[in-house]
Amino acid sequence: MRVSVSNLTFGYDYRTVLKDISFVLKSGDFLAVIGNNGSGKSTLIKCILGINKITPNRILLDDVDVVDYKNYKNIGYVPQKFDDFNYEFPITVNEILQVSKYTDFTEDQKLELLDKVGILELQNENINNLSGGQLQRVFIARSLMNNPKLLILDEPTVGVDRENVEGFYKTINELNKEGITIMLITHNIHESKANFTHILSLHNGEASFREISRGDE
Amino acid sequence: MLLINESFFFALFEYSFLRYALLTGVIMGFVTPIIGSFVVIRRLSFIADTLSHFSLAGLSIGLFLINIMGFTFISDPLYLAMIFSVIGALFIEILRGYYQNYKEISMPIVMSLGTALSALFISLSGGFNSSIYNYLFGSILTVGNEYLIVIAITTAIVLGLLFIFYKEMVIISFDETYAKLLGIKIARFQFVSTIVLAVIVSLSIATVGVLLVSSLMIIPVAAAMKVGKSFKNTIIIAIMFSETSIIGGLWLSYELDIASGATIVLINLLILVLVGLFRRFYVRKRLKQTQLDIQRK
Repeated sequence: MRVSVSNLTFGYDYRTVLKDISFVLKSGDFLAVIGNNGSGKSTLIKCILGINKITPNRILLDDVDVVDYKNYKNIGYVPQKFDDFNYEFPITVNEILQVSKYTDFTEDQKLELLDKVGILELQNENINNLSGGQLQRVFIARSLMNNPKLLILDEPTVGVDRENVEGFYKTINELNKEGITIMLITHNIHESKANFTHILSLHNGEASFREISRGDE
Repeated sequence: MLLINESFFFALFEYSFLRYALLTGVIMGFVTPIIGSFVVIRRLSFIADTLSHFSLAGLSIGLFLINIMGFTFISDPLYLAMIFSVIGALFIEILRGYYQNYKEISMPIVMSLGTALSALFISLSGGFNSSIYNYLFGSILTVGNEYLIVIAITTAIVLGLLFIFYKEMVIISFDETYAKLLGIKIARFQFVSTIVLAVIVSLSIATVGVLLVSSLMIIPVAAAMKVGKSFKNTIIIAIMFSETSIIGGLWLSYELDIASGATIVLINLLILVLVGLFRRFYVRKRLKQTQLDIQRK
């Protein structure tokens, strides 16, 4: 998916969080969004996801204004931690995926996906019994349920152990190779083994955007 | 008492009011834990209490209109309870929109309005009497044929809605942000589900009474979620607990000649304690091992 952000300014009440941000991503690009706490990383993501209401013609997704964008099933999103998810109530991996399916994603495709993210054996388990890393994979699988063209990951490896982090980036890199545009918010770019193509660095709401050749970081 | 009363099951064939009571109980025992599950997941347990207290305002106004004003065309004040429960739900939704960051403020405001109105109209109707007592603590034995039909039809509609919007309801309950992302109209769903909840709350009043409605909805779910393996499995277990408490409670209250609503809720609480003990001494050790096994996968 092509993502085009032009002169985006956004704030809550009287506080400006994002100041005049512009960048363009093509299909298959892999963007790292870096910055300190409060630099506006999550706010930017919420603007792209249509959760924050912005003025028209600031963000285009495949040339459609995000304000009018309806086809959110094309976007996969893995939130930072799982705070928004009420995961104390029993629900299995399969049940989560079933209710997240909004396209004609077949049962075979689902099993293939579970295998790819390494949780095929866990499909009938209650998510309460999973480790942080396994839970992370469940959410990645969920975000891929509807064959997204853009995948947005908000600090996905916080609290995940080193071994699982490596496996995670391997999966993400493979998905990117298949042509999915990826935006990954990260605290520490050097820790991640992702094959970024671009870096967007946010500081006090202002951004610097640069292209890097694969394997630079 | 045991010697005076004939057997509950024998009496069922003899008395239609007992059959109505049992049928009402079985229907409510089925639908309340289903609705209760969504209430628990969304951390809205307090909303059931608020709505039941607001329904009491409807009940007391109903009793005032029927007994003092002579509006006998209102066949049962429980209908007014239903209307008030829905009005209470609308108030809650309006206030939740008004206090975006302090949504729970809406509950005590609506609850105090309901309780104040109840107190006012109870005093206007000549003070505390047995009808009010019945509505506070349940009067399943007084449920008539007509009200039973209302309960059955409403329950069928609620279950139909749930069947159609199952996916959306589950996503919104578990992960509102993700539901928003999928383009689900959350405000609309929330509005409808609060109205549905209001209707179910008001219907439950007949079974266990205003003060115990939330326990009928919440306790079986609270017990089931500690032993359920999946979402569906948890709901099925909650329904089993709920039906056990209702059928058992009706039987026991008949045999011992004690209050049915209270017996039902106490059995529910007993199940909760037993499940807690079962988990503490039997499941937990195994669960830890299972978790370790799973996490090793």
